[in-house]
Amino acid sequence: MGNLLNNMITPEFFFSIFRISAPILYATLAAIVVEKAGFSNIGLEGLMMFSALFGSLASYYSGSWFIGFLAALVVGVAMSLLMGFFAFQLKTDIILVGIAINMMGSGGTLFLCKVITGITEGKAMASTTGLITSGLCIPNINIPIIGSIPFIGRVISGHSLLTYLAFVLCFLTSLMLYRTSLGLNIRAVGENHNAAASVGVSVLKIKYIAIGFSGLMSGFGGAFMSMSYAQGWSLDMVAGRGFIALAAQAMGGGECFGGMLSSLLFGFAQALGIKFSAVGLDSNLASPIPYAITIISLAIFGIIRKQKAKKPRTES
Amino acid sequence: MSKKRQITFSLVRGALAILIALLVAMLLIFISAGGDTFGAKLAATGEALKQLLVGPLFRVNTNGVSFEGKRLADILAAMIPTTFTGLAVCIMFSANQFNLGAEGGIMLGAFVSGIVAIYVPMPPVIHAVAAVLIGGIAVGLVMLIPALLKVKLDVSEMVCSLMLNYIIMYFIKYLMNAYYADKSKGQIQTYPFLNSSRIAPLGSSPIFNSAKLTVGFVIALIAVVVCGLFMYRSRWGYQIRMIGINQDFAKYSGMKVGFIIVISQLIGGFLSGAGGGIEMLGRYPTFSWSALPGYGWTGITIAILAGNNPLFVPLAAFFMAYLQKGCDMMATYANVPMQLIDIVQGVIFLFFAAEQFLSKYRQKLVVKTAQEEIAAKAALAQEGGNANG
Amino acid sequence: MAEEYVVQMKKIEKVYSNGVAANQGVDFNLKKGEIHALMGENGAGKSTLMKMLFGMEQPTSGEIVINGESVVLSSPSVAISKGIGMVHQHFMLVPSLSVAENMVLGMAPRKGLFVDRAKCVEITKEYSEKFNLHVEPEMRVADIPVGMKQKVEILKALVRGAKILILDEPTAVLTAQETQELFKELISLKDQGYTIVFISHKLNEIKEITNRITIMRNGRSMWVYETEKVTKEEISRLMVGRDVVLNVQKDEAKPADTVLKVRDLEYVNEWNKKMLDHVSFDVRKGEILGIAGVEGNGQKELIDMLFSMDTPDSGSAEVQGKSIIGINQQKIREMGVSLVPEDRMLYGIAGKATIEENVISDRSGSKKLNNGPLFNMKAIHELSEQLVKDYTVLCKSPKQQVGMLSGGNIQKVVVAREFSNDPVLILADQPTRGIDVGATEFIRKKLVELSRSGIAVLLVSADLAEVMELSDSLIVMHDGKIVAYFEDTKKLTDEEMGEYMLGLKEQSPEEIGRVCHE
Repeated sequence: MGNLLNNMITPEFFFSIFRISAPILYATLAAIVVEKAGFSNIGLEGLMMFSALFGSLASYYSGSWFIGFLAALVVGVAMSLLMGFFAFQLKTDIILVGIAINMMGSGGTLFLCKVITGITEGKAMASTTGLITSGLCIPNINIPIIGSIPFIGRVISGHSLLTYLAFVLCFLTSLMLYRTSLGLNIRAVGENHNAAASVGVSVLKIKYIAIGFSGLMSGFGGAFMSMSYAQGWSLDMVAGRGFIALAAQAMGGGECFGGMLSSLLFGFAQALGIKFSAVGLDSNLASPIPYAITIISLAIFGIIRKQKAKKPRTES
Repeated sequence: MSKKRQITFSLVRGALAILIALLVAMLLIFISAGGDTFGAKLAATGEALKQLLVGPLFRVNTNGVSFEGKRLADILAAMIPTTFTGLAVCIMFSANQFNLGAEGGIMLGAFVSGIVAIYVPMPPVIHAVAAVLIGGIAVGLVMLIPALLKVKLDVSEMVCSLMLNYIIMYFIKYLMNAYYADKSKGQIQTYPFLNSSRIAPLGSSPIFNSAKLTVGFVIALIAVVVCGLFMYRSRWGYQIRMIGINQDFAKYSGMKVGFIIVISQLIGGFLSGAGGGIEMLGRYPTFSWSALPGYGWTGITIAILAGNNPLFVPLAAFFMAYLQKGCDMMATYANVPMQLIDIVQGVIFLFFAAEQFLSKYRQKLVVKTAQEEIAAKAALAQEGGNANG
Repeated sequence: MAEEYVVQMKKIEKVYSNGVAANQGVDFNLKKGEIHALMGENGAGKSTLMKMLFGMEQPTSGEIVINGESVVLSSPSVAISKGIGMVHQHFMLVPSLSVAENMVLGMAPRKGLFVDRAKCVEITKEYSEKFNLHVEPEMRVADIPVGMKQKVEILKALVRGAKILILDEPTAVLTAQETQELFKELISLKDQGYTIVFISHKLNEIKEITNRITIMRNGRSMWVYETEKVTKEEISRLMVGRDVVLNVQKDEAKPADTVLKVRDLEYVNEWNKKMLDHVSFDVRKGEILGIAGVEGNGQKELIDMLFSMDTPDSGSAEVQGKSIIGINQQKIREMGVSLVPEDRMLYGIAGKATIEENVISDRSGSKKLNNGPLFNMKAIHELSEQLVKDYTVLCKSPKQQVGMLSGGNIQKVVVAREFSNDPVLILADQPTRGIDVGATEFIRKKLVELSRSGIAVLLVSADLAEVMELSDSLIVMHDGKIVAYFEDTKKLTDEEMGEYMLGLKEQSPEEIGRVCHE
C-alpha cells in the first residue's frame, strides 16, 4: 500500500489525471449541451471514433497536425448533423440513431481505415499508429514560469494544447449556455419548447445547433484521442468514453462545472487503475475501475435524487 | 389501413432501405476497389458485388455459379448466437427499455458455460444442458443490476448496461489470466471442454456438412417459437408489450410495471447468456475469447429489422448472417475489407428505424383506404342499409 | 361605428380536422380600453376563439379585423406583431431561466457576444414599474410564486408591444390575495388604454372588473352585455343551461348499502392551492351520484385520490370498508373499482395495440383468460368479440389497432373494458367528452343500466345536461368544496345549478352533510 501511495503522490500521477480527463470532458460537454436542448446523443462514442480516424488520416496526408485537427472537427460536425437529419426530419428515435452511429463507429471506421490507407492486417488489427509520428501530433505546451514551480509546475505544464482547451471550452460552454442568447434559446427549447416557439424561436434550428455542437466537441475529443492521447487511430480506441460522458453529464447535474468534476473523477479512477497495474495488480482488474465507478456513482446519484424528491410537497 | 396494404408498405419500405444500404456499399466498394482506370475500378466493383450478393451461397467463377451447401450451413451456423441476442433485445426493447447488455451477456454466458463444461463433470447431454442453463441464469442475474437500478432509482439502463459490458469483458480476462488459462498454451485459452458438454453437430449430410452447424440451431429455432409464444400468447409478454406502448396505461390497468420491466431484462439476460453457452460449447473446444464478440450489437439490428417480433428474428438473423458471409467472401476474393458489414448494417438500421421514411407514401395509402371506406359506406347507404356508427 | 372597435371577429367558423365544429358563426368585438369578459361553459368555444385571435389556430372561415385592417393571423408571431398578447392557462415560461431572461427570450439585447444581462434586468424593471406589476427580475422562474409567474407572462406580452391582452382563466391558479392584486393591475392597464379579454367562470370577478361581457354557448356567441346592466343571476342563467333535454329513460333508483365512503379528504397542490377541502360523501349500490361543477374545482384531484394516482394530505376513502388510499391500481381494481379516465389517450388505451389487447389489460392474469402459462386465446377472442358486439364498437375486427378508431369508438373500447369486469364501483370521469352523439348516448344508457343492476356509479362531468339527467343525486363542487347536495335531481333547475356552480350560493353544512348516509 505504501508502495502505491509513493507511486501516487507524484506530479506524473496528477498530470495523468488531467490528460485522461480531457477527452471525457469534451464528450461530457457535448452531452450537457444536447441534454439542455432536451434530448440525448448516445452516439458520442461513434462520433469520436470517426473524428479520431479522419483527424489522424488528414494529419498524415497533409503533413500538418492542424489540418488533421480541423478535419476531425469537420467530420464530427458533419456526422452529427446527419444524425440530426435522421432524428428530427425522419423521426428516427434518437437513441436508435445513436446506436447506429456507434455501430458504424466501431467496425466501420476500421473499414474506412483499411480502404483509405491500404493497410492490410498482419497479426495486429489495422490502425494508423504507424503513420502518425510525434510531429503530426497536437503539440504539447510548456507554460513558462508556472512550469518551473516545483511539483505543481510538472502537473500543470507540458500538457497537450487540447488538454488545456478542454478546460477552457468547459468554461466557454458554460458562458455560452448562460450568457448568450443562443444559450438561452437552447435551454428554453429543452425545458419548454412551446414557450420558445411562442416567442418565435425556431425549435428545429436550435436542436440542429445543439447536436452540431455535440459533434464539434466529439471532434475535439476524437482529435485528442488519435493525435495526442495515442499516436494514431486504432480500433475501439475511444473505449466507452462517449458512454462514460453520458454518466458524467448526469452526475454533474447537467452543468459544465459539475460535468468537469465528474470527468476528473473518472480521470482519477483510470489513473488510479494504471497505478494499480504499475504496482503489480492485473491490468484487467484495474481497467474496469472507471466503468464500475460510473455505475456506482449513478446509483448514489439516483439515491440522492430520490431522497430529494421525497421532501414534503408543501412546507407551509 | 388494411392489413394487406400495411404489409405492402412494410415490404416496400424494407426493400428500399436495403437498396439504399447496398448503394452506399457499392459506393464504398468502388472507392476501395483496385484498378487504375474508371473501367477497371467498375469491373472490380462488379466482381466484389457479385461476391457480396451471390457469394454467400454460390461459388462464383469463370464457369458460372454453383451452389455451395457448406456456405449455407455456415450462414445457418452464424445465425445461432445472433438469433439468441436478437430475441434478447426484442424482449428488452419491447418494454421500451434500451438495455444494451446483450453484448456482455453473450460473452459472460459463454464463459460461465465453458467453466461448467470444464470443471463440473456430468453425464452427456445433461452436462451441456446444465452448462447452458447456468450460463443463462448467471447473465440473467447480472441484468438485474441495470433493471433494478432503473426501476428503483431511475438510473439509465442504457448507460449502466454499456458499462457492464466493459466490466464483464475485463473481469473475464482477469479470471482467465489469473485462474483458468492453460499455461501450457501460447494463446490465452482454457483447458478443453469435457466431451460430455459438447453440443453436437446437426448432421453430416453432404449438403449441410459443417461442423459449425450444431444442434444449437434447432434450439435457437425452438427459442424463437417459445419467445413468440411468450410475447404474444402469455400474460407477461403481453404486459411487456403494453408497457412498451404506453406505460401510464399499463399502470392504470393495474399491471406491476416495475416488476415486469425487471422480468423482461432478466429474460433478455438469460437468452443472451444461454446463447453464449450454446455458441461456445457447439463451436469451440476451449474458451479463448479475449474481446466482446459483437453478437449483441448484431442482435440490436436484428431486433429492429424484426420490429421486436420474435417470430421475425430468424429471418432478420438470416439476412444479417448472409450479409456477413457476403462481406467475408468479398474480403477473401475481392479484397474489400469485411468490416463493410458494419456500415451497411448501420445504414439499414437507420432507415428501418426512421418513422418518417416514406411517410408520404404511407399517407397516400391511408388516404386511399379512407376513401374506399367512405365509398363503401355510401354504397351501403344507397342500398338503404344502416351506415351510421 | 366600426372604428370604435380595436378587434372585430366576424362570422368566425372553426371546424377541426376531426370534424368538431368548435365555433359556428361567432361575432366578437373589443372596444379600445375595456376589460371584456368572455364567458361560457367548458366546451362552449371560448378557447378556440381566442387561439384564433392569437394565431395558434386559423379560422375555417370568417374575418378578423384589427384596428380597422383585415388581417390573417398565421402564427403567434404575426399576432404579436399586430399587438396581441396572450397569457395561457399553462404558463409559457422556462423554469430555469430568470424572470428577466424569460422576458426577453428570442429578442435578447446583446453586448458583444453576450446577452446584456443588465439591460434585460433594466427592461424588466422598467416595464415592471411602468405597469405596476411587481416582479423580481433576477430570480429564477422556478422559484417564484404562481402569481408572479402570471405577471411575468403579462409583462412578456407587454414588452413585445401588446396592446390587446388575452387572459385565459388567469385566476384559476391564484389565491384570493393574488387575485385582488391582479385586478388592481388589470384596471391600471385598462386606464392606460390597454384592452383586455378576460376568460373566467367566476361571476364575482367578472362583475368586479369587466366592462362588457360576451357569453358563448355551444360554439356561438349568444349575448353581449354591458356588465353593469346585467345581474350575476342573469349571467349565471344565460351561461349555464341545458341546450338539449336528454330524456334519459331510467327507473327509480333503489340505493342500497354504501360502497364508496369518502371522509374529509384534503389536498393541497404543488402551488399551495387547496384543491380538496374537507370533501365527504357516500356512493351507494344502485345509484348514480353526479359531481357537477366548473372544471378545475377539485374534480380531477378527487378522482386521482380515489384511484390512487395521488395521495391526499388527510382524510379517508373506503370501498366496502377497505381503505383505498395509497395502494396500487392493481389492488384497487381487485376491490372492484373501475375508472373511465378523463384522458383516454393517455390512460385509457395503448394506441398501437389491438382492440383485443386493450380490452384485456385489466384482467390479463385472470384464470378465465389463461391456460397454465399461456393465454387461452379462444377465451380472449370470445371475450373481445363479445365486447365489440355488446358495445357496438365499429371496427373490422378486434385485431384492429385501437389508435386507428374514431374517438367515440376508442371510448367504447375503454368503457367496454371498465364496465365488463364485474365492478362494484365505477368512477366515470367525463365519460362522453368529445365523442359523437351515437357513442355518447350508448355510454349514458350503459351507465344507467349498470347502476340499476346494483353497481355504484360516481359520475364526474362538465356537461350539465349529462350530469343532471343521468345522476340520481348530485353534489356540486366549487373551489375544492362540496357546496351543495341534491337528493333528487329531477326537481333541480338550471338556474339553481348555475348559482351553486359559479359560487353564488352555498348550502348549509347540515344540508350538504346528508350526502353521508349514516
